[in-house]
Amino acid sequence: MSYVWHHNNQYKHLICVFEMVKKGKKTDNVPIDNGGAQRRIQSNGRYLLAFIIGTLVFILGFVITYSVSYFQYDRISDFQDITSYSIFSDKLGYEIFNKDICSFNNFKEISEGLGYQGRVIDDLERRLGKDNKDVLFRKRFYTLVELEHLEFINKMNKECKRSIPTILFFYSNEENDLSTSEDAGKLLDTLSSRHRELIIYSFDVNLDSELIDNLKDEYEVYKTPFAVVNQESKIIDFTDIKKFEDVLGESDAPVSKNVIRL
Amino acid sequence: MDFIVLVVYISIYIGLVATTFYILTFVSSKDDKEKMFKEHELPTVSVLIPVLNEEKSIVSTLNSILKSDYPLDKLEVIVIDNNSTDNTNKLVREFIEKRNKIKRKTFKIKLYIEKNPGKGNALNLGISKAKGEIVFSMDADTFVEPWSLKNMVRYFKNPEVMCVSPGITIYNPRNILQRVQYIEYVIGLFLRKTFAILNAIHITPGAFSAYRKSFFDRYGGYDAGNITEDLELAMRIQYNGYKIENSPDSPAYTIAPNKFSHLLKQRRRWYIGLMKNMWKYKNLFGKKYGDMGMFVLPIAWISIFFAVFITSYFFIKTLFDIGDEISFLKSIHFDFGNFFDINYYFWDRLFFSVLSNTIIIFILFFVVIILAYLFYASRKLGKVNSLWINLPLFFIFFAVLFGFWWIVSLFYMIANGGRVSWK
Repeated sequence: MSYVWHHNNQYKHLICVFEMVKKGKKTDNVPIDNGGAQRRIQSNGRYLLAFIIGTLVFILGFVITYSVSYFQYDRISDFQDITSYSIFSDKLGYEIFNKDICSFNNFKEISEGLGYQGRVIDDLERRLGKDNKDVLFRKRFYTLVELEHLEFINKMNKECKRSIPTILFFYSNEENDLSTSEDAGKLLDTLSSRHRELIIYSFDVNLDSELIDNLKDEYEVYKTPFAVVNQESKIIDFTDIKKFEDVLGESDAPVSKNVIRL
Repeated sequence: MDFIVLVVYISIYIGLVATTFYILTFVSSKDDKEKMFKEHELPTVSVLIPVLNEEKSIVSTLNSILKSDYPLDKLEVIVIDNNSTDNTNKLVREFIEKRNKIKRKTFKIKLYIEKNPGKGNALNLGISKAKGEIVFSMDADTFVEPWSLKNMVRYFKNPEVMCVSPGITIYNPRNILQRVQYIEYVIGLFLRKTFAILNAIHITPGAFSAYRKSFFDRYGGYDAGNITEDLELAMRIQYNGYKIENSPDSPAYTIAPNKFSHLLKQRRRWYIGLMKNMWKYKNLFGKKYGDMGMFVLPIAWISIFFAVFITSYFFIKTLFDIGDEISFLKSIHFDFGNFFDINYYFWDRLFFSVLSNTIIIFILFFVVIILAYLFYASRKLGKVNSLWINLPLFFIFFAVLFGFWWIVSLFYMIANGGRVSWK
C-alpha cells in the first residue's frame, strides 16, 4: 500500500508550510498535514509472543536467584553442621576424654568460618525475607554455635593462661539501624585485620531467641550497634577505631566471672 | 519492597518485553531484494556538504566520496560554505581545480556560498542547486566506505522510501568519552535496523543521510530555525506517512566530541531538539502510526523517564553515601589495609551475592543482549574496535552520562523557556 496521500485541499497547507520553511520561519504553530497516512500494526501475534517470552524471562530471573539462594542455604547449613560438630567434638574431647585444651589451635580457623556463616545468613535473610523459617532456624543455630565457641575460648584463656581477645557485637538489621550497624561491622572487620587473634561474635538483637534475650540482659544492650570487648568493656561509640584498640590494649583476657550465663 | 526497587523491576520488565519484541521483529524480517535498485537502475545522486571552518577535515571527506564506487556520471558533490573564516573555501577550490586537471572521468564538484548562517540554510541552498534524484546530507567531518552510497541508494527503489540512514559509527575513538559514544552508536545499529523494519525510525543522523529530492520539492526543505533540523525532517517524513529505511551495510564514520563540555552541548541540543520536535509532531503517538505510534515511541519515552529517574535516585543516594563513607573512613583512620584482605570466603560470598541478586541477573541478561547487538554490528561494519576496553567503559559510564545529559537538558530548557541555540 502507498502511504502517499493526494488531496488538493490539504495540499494547500503543505505549500504554505513549504514556503515558511523555505523562508526559515518557525512552523511550530502551523498545522501540518500528514496525508492521512494510516499504518497498521505489523503483527499482533508478535506483541503477544514478546509479552509471553518477556514475562517468562522475568519470572526465570527470580527462579534463578531463589534457586541460587536455596543452594547457598544448603551449603551454609552443611558448613554450619561441620563447624558445630568440630566445636562440640573438641569440647567433648577435653571434658570427657581429658584431652589437653591447650593443644587445640584451630580456634581462629573456626572463628573465621563462623564469621563467614554469619554474613551469609544475613545475606540469605535479605534475599529470602526476615520471616523465612529456614533462615531463622539457621540464625538461631548460628547464635548457639557462636556461644559454644565463645565458651571454648573462655576456657582456653583461663586454663592455658592465654589472652585471646573477643568482642561481642550486637547489631540490628532493621531498616533504620542497618546503615550504622553495617559501618560498625566494617570497623570491626578493620580491627580484626589489625589484630589477628581477635575473635568477633555477632548477634542480631532482633532475633526471636532466648539466648539473645539473655545476652542483652547480661550486657544491658539498650541500643545498636553495641560492643562488649573481652566481655568487660561496653562500647557504643563506633566513630573511632582507637577506642577499641585502647580497650584491647589495656584489657587482659576475660576472667571466669565474666563467662556468660546462658 | 522499596519503592526504588519496584521502579527498577518495572523498568526491567518493560525492557525485557521491548527487547524481545525487537528481536522477534528482526528475526521475522528480511530485506526484499526486489525492492532494491539494481546496478543499472541507480538514480542520480547529489552529496551536499555544508561547511563552516572545516579546514582540518574537508579534504579527507571529499576524498572519501572520491573513492565511492557509485557511477561517476550519476554523482555530484555540492559544498556549501557557510561563511568560513579559515582556509576551508580555499581548500575546496584547490581540490576542485586538482580534480579538473585529471583527465580521468570524475564526478562534478561545485562550491556555493550561503550567507545566511545555519546548517539548515546551507543545506536548503544545496537542495535548490542539486540535480540528483537522491540528495545526501553529509557533515564535513564524516567519512564513508566506497560502497556506502550505493548500498543506501538501492533502498530508494521503493517509492514509499523518502530517507535512508547509514550504519553510523564513530571514527577512531580515543578517549573515554569517545569510546563510550562509540559503543552507544554501534549498539544503535541493530535497533535502527529493527526500527526500520517497523517503519519507526524517527531520528536520522545529520552526519550522513540520504533523502529523495522530491520530498523536499513537495514538503519543503530543512527547517532552518530548528536546532535539530535533521531530526525535524525525519519526523516530518514519518508524519507524512513515508518510510525511512536503514542500511547498516553502509558505514559512515563521524568524529565524536572528545571534550565533556562539547559533548554536553551536543547532547543538550539533541535532547531539547527531540523534546521540542516530538511535541511538534505529537500526533505520531497513537494507532494511526502503527507500531511506531503504539509501541516504539511510547517505549522510548518510558525508557528515558525510567533512566532519568533511576539515575537521579542513585546519583543523589551516592552523594549521601559518600558522606557516610568518609565518616566511616575517618573512624578507621583511613586504614585501607583491610580492603586488600581478600580470602576464599570473600570470593565465595561475592560469587553467590551476585548470582542471588535478581537485578544483577537481569543486568547480566542485558549484557548478553548487548553483546549480540555488537556481534550484529561487527558483521555489518567489518569489526568492532577494542571491545575489551570500550565495552567496560560503556557499562561504567553510559547510564550515568545518559541520565546526566537528560537532567541537564530538562533544567536548561526550563531555565531558558525552551530557547536553545545551535552551538
